[in-house]
Amino acid sequence: MTAILQTQKLRVEYRSRDFRQGNKIALNGLDLEVHAGEVFGFLGPNGAGKTTTMNVLLGFVPPSSGGASLFGIDVRQPIARQRIGYLPELTYYYKFLTAEELLRFYAKIFGLTRAETDKRIAELLKLVELEHAAKRPIKSYSKGMQQRVGLAQSLINNPDLLILDEPTSGLDPLGRMKVREIIQRLKEQGKTVFFSSHELGEVEAICDRVAILDQGDLKAIGTVAEVSAGSANLEQAFLKIVGYQPSSAS
Amino acid sequence: MSKIFALAGVVIKELYRRKDFYVLFVLTALLTLGAGMVNFFHDDKIVRYVKDICLLLIWVSALVISVVTTARQIPAEREARTIFPLLAKPVSRAQVIVGKFLGCWLATGVALVVFYFFFAVVTGSKEHFWPWAAYLEAVWMHWVMLGVVIAMVLLGSIYFAAPSSTSTITIIVVGGILLLGTHLKIIALQQPEPMQFILTLGYFVMPHLEWYDLRDFVVYDMGLVPVRAVALATLYAAVWTGIFLVLAWLGFRRKNLTT
Amino acid sequence: MKISPLSMLAVLGALAFTLSASLALTADNWSGRAKSDNVFGMMFGDGRKLFANHFFTMADVYFHSGYYPSVFDQRATEEKEIISASHGHKDSEEDEKNEDFLGKPKDWVDAFGRNFRITQHTHLENHNEREILPWLRLAADLDPQKTEVYTVGAFFLREHLNRPDQAEVFLREGLRNNPDSYEILFELGRVYHDAYHDLDRARNVWQLGIKKFMVAPADRQKDDKLIFEELVVNLARIEDEAGNYGAAIDWFHAAQKVSPAPDALQKQIDAIQKKMAALIPVTPGKLY
Ligand SMILES: Nc1ncnc2c1ncn2[C@@H]1O[C@H](COP(=O)(O)OP(=O)(O)O)[C@@H](O)[C@H]1O
Ligand SMILES: [Mg+2]
Repeated sequence: MTAILQTQKLRVEYRSRDFRQGNKIALNGLDLEVHAGEVFGFLGPNGAGKTTTMNVLLGFVPPSSGGASLFGIDVRQPIARQRIGYLPELTYYYKFLTAEELLRFYAKIFGLTRAETDKRIAELLKLVELEHAAKRPIKSYSKGMQQRVGLAQSLINNPDLLILDEPTSGLDPLGRMKVREIIQRLKEQGKTVFFSSHELGEVEAICDRVAILDQGDLKAIGTVAEVSAGSANLEQAFLKIVGYQPSSAS
Repeated sequence: MSKIFALAGVVIKELYRRKDFYVLFVLTALLTLGAGMVNFFHDDKIVRYVKDICLLLIWVSALVISVVTTARQIPAEREARTIFPLLAKPVSRAQVIVGKFLGCWLATGVALVVFYFFFAVVTGSKEHFWPWAAYLEAVWMHWVMLGVVIAMVLLGSIYFAAPSSTSTITIIVVGGILLLGTHLKIIALQQPEPMQFILTLGYFVMPHLEWYDLRDFVVYDMGLVPVRAVALATLYAAVWTGIFLVLAWLGFRRKNLTT
Repeated sequence: MKISPLSMLAVLGALAFTLSASLALTADNWSGRAKSDNVFGMMFGDGRKLFANHFFTMADVYFHSGYYPSVFDQRATEEKEIISASHGHKDSEEDEKNEDFLGKPKDWVDAFGRNFRITQHTHLENHNEREILPWLRLAADLDPQKTEVYTVGAFFLREHLNRPDQAEVFLREGLRNNPDSYEILFELGRVYHDAYHDLDRARNVWQLGIKKFMVAPADRQKDDKLIFEELVVNLARIEDEAGNYGAAIDWFHAAQKVSPAPDALQKQIDAIQKKMAALIPVTPGKLY
């Protein structure tokens, strides 16, 4: 199986603003491989280094050491990002545009033809169930709708690999359900999906494989069954891995 | 190129969907019409003061529109985090800078056309005289000058986090150049030595935006500026615009966007 | 409608900045005035006067279609040209036209920049003089004690714009605010005499002007000797026109005492005496 997304001994240190403190090690030699066609759940508590990993993959943050590649191309080369779609966390899209205008804008960035654009926009609006709101400005959208606009924009170029940063965070159960369905459908279309989350229920339901990250260290990697072996479910396994002791709470 | 136009299109949409432009236009229109309605000594042919006031308002409004619109572009992309999905697509940071510049500049151009059209209609209806060529020169020079200003603001917006500080600083700098640019050398010669050298140097290296103010020619019906001079001034402005854009790109290229 | 506070602030700031800076350019009128006053005095008292001065200067700027020196340029003369023009100082007007405050271009920036500035000394003509009126109106509203605003305005209304009626109204307003101003009375007399050929009313206001001059403080009398001479000479001329040759000669004699060129006046006296010789002799009356 080919690795579509790969990191090797990836280390990221953020320089501290306060020189008395040491540098913050956000990733400590991360080795990761995501294969074609799988849905890969990237788990970890807040501050584990999930977003940092994605920022390296997208070229926003340079690795301190080690490396990363997409489709076998080093991420430092912009061409590595031709065939990916990216959904950042907590993004507030241009609120004065409508969903349709937003997608048209991104389509132009990809240089899609007009016909392709029209077709793609129609498909995506249907996929994320925003046809009824397509001509309304984004500022009138609910949080769930905004998140689905984000998903639509990440798919505008029909990418082979999707990198989604906490796609369901902040959504109500219905919204989360919808996003999960979309990921499911993408998987059926043969896309590779790499997404971060700390919502374990949904991960369990849709992921082929998961990795658990804590404080920059990779703690576990494998299928859901492999990772949760020896625990009641994935959530129990996760808590155990990140060192949470139920008894210490009382 | 189509990527740059796509980026510019978003900026233009933003301008005409926000209220700022309309507010300033209505303000300018009301003040101008109000000034035009005043009766001085029962002489209804008096018109130059109206032209003067209207053009001053246009200059102030256009400066405010272009500076405020431009100053928030990059900071807003960062704050709303749209810069991430954008840069995750096949678009370079240089293209983002140029696209933002072009958007702000074109949007300002549209605003200028609206403003000057209003000016021509109001003053023309009073003096029955439409020196279109002079107006065209005045608008062109105004627009070219705002190009330099917009590039300058874009550069500032990369170094100053708050759009308001970028706006304030550029409005002061541009205002200072417009008012004192011509006189800076005379002022310099009246200063003691370290200051004299600094001001003289400033006089020679600063962008001479005051050249682009042809209001006097329009207000006093003084005819046309030689086309050769306009062409040279356009070239000069283009060079300055280029300098500021390159500096902006150099800053933006190294910018860590995740902090 | 929602207004972004930033944009409003920016507008106000820019307006304040433009205004204050453009005032600074003409602040020469101001420097002698505000020194001893506190801020409030400046804002409510001298502030108005400062603006009035600014607008009066604007009238002069308009008169020159924008060809106007800033405080930074060395000025050959302090006097406003609209004043000298309105006082009929044709020769000084010509002098100013020939003199060029810009001088030779100092460097390439200056040389090229002149393409975009008004670089010709011109004066408004062909009824375009009307364009200075709004600034005079504003100056008069802001500083009603500024008498030259009324006289200059009336001069242009009467002499160039053919509106003696408006000139009279403006001067009457000025007189209400400055009842002791012989300058305004002199200009008013010119409206009656030159425009309406009403010798009686002209004589009345000019004689009143002389009365006001006689009771004015000594230093003002010294400064305004020329206005006094004009009043007297003009009175002499209307008496001459009216055929009161004796009174005319007496006025001319009075004028000779203050005139820088008594010989020229003597010629006029001689001319009247010749006319008188052809008539019955008249005994000179008491003048003032
Ligand atoms: N730009 C930055 N500068 C300094 N420290 C950062 C920066 N971004 C993230 N960090 C730190 O790096 C660690 C990992 O953060 P992040 O990758 O955002 O975690 P996650 O997405 O898993 O919640 C955190 O401790 C965070 O405080
Ligand atoms: Mg995160």
